[in-house]
Amino acid sequence: MVTSLLSTDDLTQARALLEATGLQFETPYDDLVGIFEAGRLVAVGARQGRTLKMLAVAPSHQGGTLLDEVVTELVGRGYQEGVDSFFVFTSPALAPNFETLNFNLLAASGKTALLEYGDGLKRYLARYTRLIRPGNNGAIVANCNPFTLGHRYLVEQAAAAVDQLFLFVVREERSLFPFGTRLRMVQDGTADLANVTVVDTSWYAVSSITFPTYFLKDGDPGGAIQMELDLLLFAQRIAPHFQVRTRFVGSEPLCGTTAAYNEAMHRILPPLGVEVREIERKNADQRPISASRVREMLLRGELDGIAELVPVSTLDFLLSSEGIKIWDKGGAR
Amino acid sequence: MKIVKKAQAGTMQSSDLMVFLEPAETLNVTIESTVLKQFGALIRGKVDEVLAKHGIDAGEVRITDRGALDYAIEARLETAIMRATEG
Repeated sequence: MVTSLLSTDDLTQARALLEATGLQFETPYDDLVGIFEAGRLVAVGARQGRTLKMLAVAPSHQGGTLLDEVVTELVGRGYQEGVDSFFVFTSPALAPNFETLNFNLLAASGKTALLEYGDGLKRYLARYTRLIRPGNNGAIVANCNPFTLGHRYLVEQAAAAVDQLFLFVVREERSLFPFGTRLRMVQDGTADLANVTVVDTSWYAVSSITFPTYFLKDGDPGGAIQMELDLLLFAQRIAPHFQVRTRFVGSEPLCGTTAAYNEAMHRILPPLGVEVREIERKNADQRPISASRVREMLLRGELDGIAELVPVSTLDFLLSSEGIKIWDKGGAR
Repeated sequence: MKIVKKAQAGTMQSSDLMVFLEPAETLNVTIESTVLKQFGALIRGKVDEVLAKHGIDAGEVRITDRGALDYAIEARLETAIMRATEG
């Protein structure tokens, strides 16, 4: 029977089992479960958000159904918590073990494979099929936190160079502005551009699954691998569906993580048939326009200069009562 | 009956299936199976039959199957329906 691992002894056993199978005990997690046999832990697994991790079965008990039981429990509990799609990172050699459990391989790079439980990617792509026009299409993936004149400039440049431009807005809720408001600012800010289609990345591009370190302050060694998975997934699964042949990106003079991501883009995408075009950032006051610059000004209350950095549609939103609530947490205004 | 909340039944073990039900405006059934090519139509037929038997005409129905026999499909789906329709 699968049970929660809570006591100090449970955790000690979980740590020992993981280390014996070459894995590490990694906090944090939302759920940690295992299976005991005669007081000894023989299988373990954890869930952190949408990601299943620390899955291990004692060597003496492999080949049975213990992994199935652990994953069933984690998915069942996660579903009750409101999570409706699940991902697992494993080595490419172990991927088939998960494929027999109805996990689908999303991308594999060297030592790491990313799989998804169920057919979420297929359903995500199908949702946009009717919006796609065949042609020489392009894509931008952006967080737009908030949508600035820098984004607008990049979109204009890209839209002029392709038949249809897909503007993927990052769905992940790790930003000051919630996804719904970012999406609206982007839609309002690009409504006059007929060949721009605004779509959502779901969990499949620049998300906490494909690229967790994007949302951290400093890059970490694991980030490089996951950056690759993010780009492989884009080039192999997303771009072909949207008939995207070019990915546009703004040059990144400021943020190290994004600069590394751009560099990886140049390395990984072209061999897979997606050209990368880096477009010079637009400046205001001799400094690149960036969303982080806008956020800093908002938080410092320097509202006057913001009009030079964002389109009117974004400014209207920022100064609306809904917008003010987001950036003025103290309620000074 | 009406699906009023999220519910799940079944396991990921071989010869079993996982059923996920969610409230929705229309009926939408998706089936994934390791034996979809051979038995997809039969699985779908069984699912439709059980849904009809319980008068379910709206909801998000997701099934991931590992070669369950038809009585297992019926039992798991009925269990999920009971869980999803109780007040």
